[in-house]
Amino acid sequence: MSRARPNSGALLGLTLAWACTAALAEDAAGQAQATVPAATTPAQKKTSPALTPAQWLERMNHALTTRNYDGTFSHWHGGHVEMLRIIHRVQDGNVSERLVSLDGSGREFIRSGANLACYLPDRRTVLVEQRPPQESLVGFPAVDDQTASFYDIREVGRMRLNRRDTHVITVSPRDEYRYGYRLWIDASTAMPLKTQLCDAHGRIIEQVVFASLALPVRIADASFRPEVSTLGFRWLRTGTAAPLAPAAPATSAWNALRLPPGFRMSVRSAQVLPGSNQPVDHLVFTDGVASVSVFVETQTAAVAQAPRAQSAAVGSSSAFSTVVDGHKITAVGEVPLATVQFIATQVKAQDLVPAGVPQR
Amino acid sequence: MSADASDLSLVRRVQRGDKGAFDALVLKYQHKLVKLVMRYVRNPAEAEDIAQEAFIKAYRALPQFRGDSAFYTWLYRIAINTAKNAVVSRDRSPIEYNIDRHDNDESYDMQGRMKDSETPEGLVLTDEIRTTVNAAIDALPEDLRTAIVLRELEGLSYEEIAAAMDCPVGTVRSRIFRAREAIDHRLREVFEGGLGRAEELG
Amino acid sequence: MNEELDSQLSAMFDDQLPPAECELLARRLSRDEQLKARWGRYAVMGAVIRAERGVRLNAPLAGRVSAVLLAEPALGAQSLAGALPRRGLRWWQPVVAGALAAGVAAVSILWLRAEAPSSVASLSARLTTPAAASGASVIPASARERGGRADSYVVPPSPAVPAVVVPSTELANYVVAHSMFSSPVARRNLLSAFMTSEPAAAGAEEPPDDVKSAAQ
Repeated sequence: MSRARPNSGALLGLTLAWACTAALAEDAAGQAQATVPAATTPAQKKTSPALTPAQWLERMNHALTTRNYDGTFSHWHGGHVEMLRIIHRVQDGNVSERLVSLDGSGREFIRSGANLACYLPDRRTVLVEQRPPQESLVGFPAVDDQTASFYDIREVGRMRLNRRDTHVITVSPRDEYRYGYRLWIDASTAMPLKTQLCDAHGRIIEQVVFASLALPVRIADASFRPEVSTLGFRWLRTGTAAPLAPAAPATSAWNALRLPPGFRMSVRSAQVLPGSNQPVDHLVFTDGVASVSVFVETQTAAVAQAPRAQSAAVGSSSAFSTVVDGHKITAVGEVPLATVQFIATQVKAQDLVPAGVPQR
Repeated sequence: MSADASDLSLVRRVQRGDKGAFDALVLKYQHKLVKLVMRYVRNPAEAEDIAQEAFIKAYRALPQFRGDSAFYTWLYRIAINTAKNAVVSRDRSPIEYNIDRHDNDESYDMQGRMKDSETPEGLVLTDEIRTTVNAAIDALPEDLRTAIVLRELEGLSYEEIAAAMDCPVGTVRSRIFRAREAIDHRLREVFEGGLGRAEELG
Repeated sequence: MNEELDSQLSAMFDDQLPPAECELLARRLSRDEQLKARWGRYAVMGAVIRAERGVRLNAPLAGRVSAVLLAEPALGAQSLAGALPRRGLRWWQPVVAGALAAGVAAVSILWLRAEAPSSVASLSARLTTPAAASGASVIPASARERGGRADSYVVPPSPAVPAVVVPSTELANYVVAHSMFSSPVARRNLLSAFMTSEPAAAGAEEPPDDVKSAAQ
């Protein structure tokens, strides 16, 4: 059985503070941890309520999407470590965020409301995009009853990570189509202070550890302005008129004929990407933890010239593209390459109205 | 039996790729190493950093360790060199991040060990640990207490303790083990807090 | 808790366990977190008895060392047991053959290679906008060497930078668009990787010239 082993030495952390909830977790085999009593001794300065592991994940996602925070973290992948800063603010329902590379590329990603910009100083390019405003939490992977069939989610214990009390949650994939996570979730703020992404064999592929983190009540607008000077940069924007609805009723829609177990479509939309006027179909598939986007580009001269198949990696995420019937189909997601490849090669145009069925 | 069999068995595992075995070596020697390093640097936090660095160096150099000397002797030398180098080249500037701190903010700072203004929970816990262990030792039956003190404080082998206490080696082993059990009974609660009690339910 | 096991643990901690039993126990110790925790507490007891003042008794030192070791390659390992994934794969690169299922044509790079002028033209047409700024075209050194054509990308003119193969903006677009639908943690990781990824140096990771798309 290929899954991350919670007992591996990598989870040592602060062994001296190892709680015996590890033993409980093994026994409970994924059941609710509600039987763990709240800490009451003086050694525990703060108590945290007993939540199920899935609830901890939910709290964590909620914290990441609704709280203000400003922190720096190290991102380890492929033997390289880089430092980044992340600033996130939710104000009057508007989300602003900024991600800056602190060493090397100096790239920045800034989102403010509906505007999204990627500053790539090493390419002397800025990508600018408008996102539809209603697209906030739609299509997020969400853990539900189905998810347990594909992931083993459990709490393996409590640990003190640099004087913060954390719950260590593991999300172990039950097959090789997906990755797993180990999350050190701060007991009081639910922020993930340390995150590891593992493959189905438990090997760590990516790690993010916060070096400093603050949750300020107020964050100034100035925090979301880029530091890089864009003089002489090339700006690529989406076309201002972004017609998302096709003129004629669609007679066919893209879909995947088969999906890896557990994946289901969660979003179907279309958009125009920066630097182009062509609308691109965008489908999102998720298994509750991971998500995979499929982009379908209609036939253009560029598509006709595109290579038959390509793949890429961005950190631990994978991308795969193929050309089918004059359409370029690209799948991108935080899953192994084989999974995006599988999905991309399964995408076909399907008739919306099957032959023989009377139309209303 | 080799006096170093314990460490060697762990070292060999690490040399064959078992990182978990290295954790056990770190746990065993961390306090001794920090204490050693503190001969060179006064600041406990800095000493911990240097000790950490020494452990990492030892890990990387482990393929070259052949067991000619005891592991701790070898580790000891690495730690001294690391400490000396650190003292000589004190350009280890911690990365300072400017982060606005407002009221009602919750924040923590991994680099904050350099700031001594706040009372680190760690030191409070250290005192609690020390008190707990000392109280537990005081409460031990005399033969158990003598056995463990001779072992930990004087560093005597089981045979030497057996001679000193005029009893068989097996008894020494048993007494030390039972002493540790008794101390651990109280010590676990300090480390694990209320969750330690949960085990009794299960 | 197994009393015999703990008694052995105590003896091993004191270097008083026979070598054969040490081997077995070492194996268990490395994997059993509770056993390790107990072992660690034995060390703490010793430190208290020796009254090692000034030493923090619950220092996260062991945890930190363990964390750092995660990034280190396991000793003696043949493969990169530290889970180092496909190294050097950045923007649109061919993947090692084993990762692709049989039947998929060999991949080729979507780079603006001088050998494929038609793709250069079409890609440039797609990616330049009327508002394209100064964009003094700088021919990447590699293309220059091969006598290729200039492309419409603006390449950092710094001579110290080795000739780089220019990445696909298209992938950047996909990554960003997808990131809006990932879980918050995955999104952060993806964008972080995107922020820190580098293009491959020309000549370093290009496929051999005889790799061609299979005519299908």
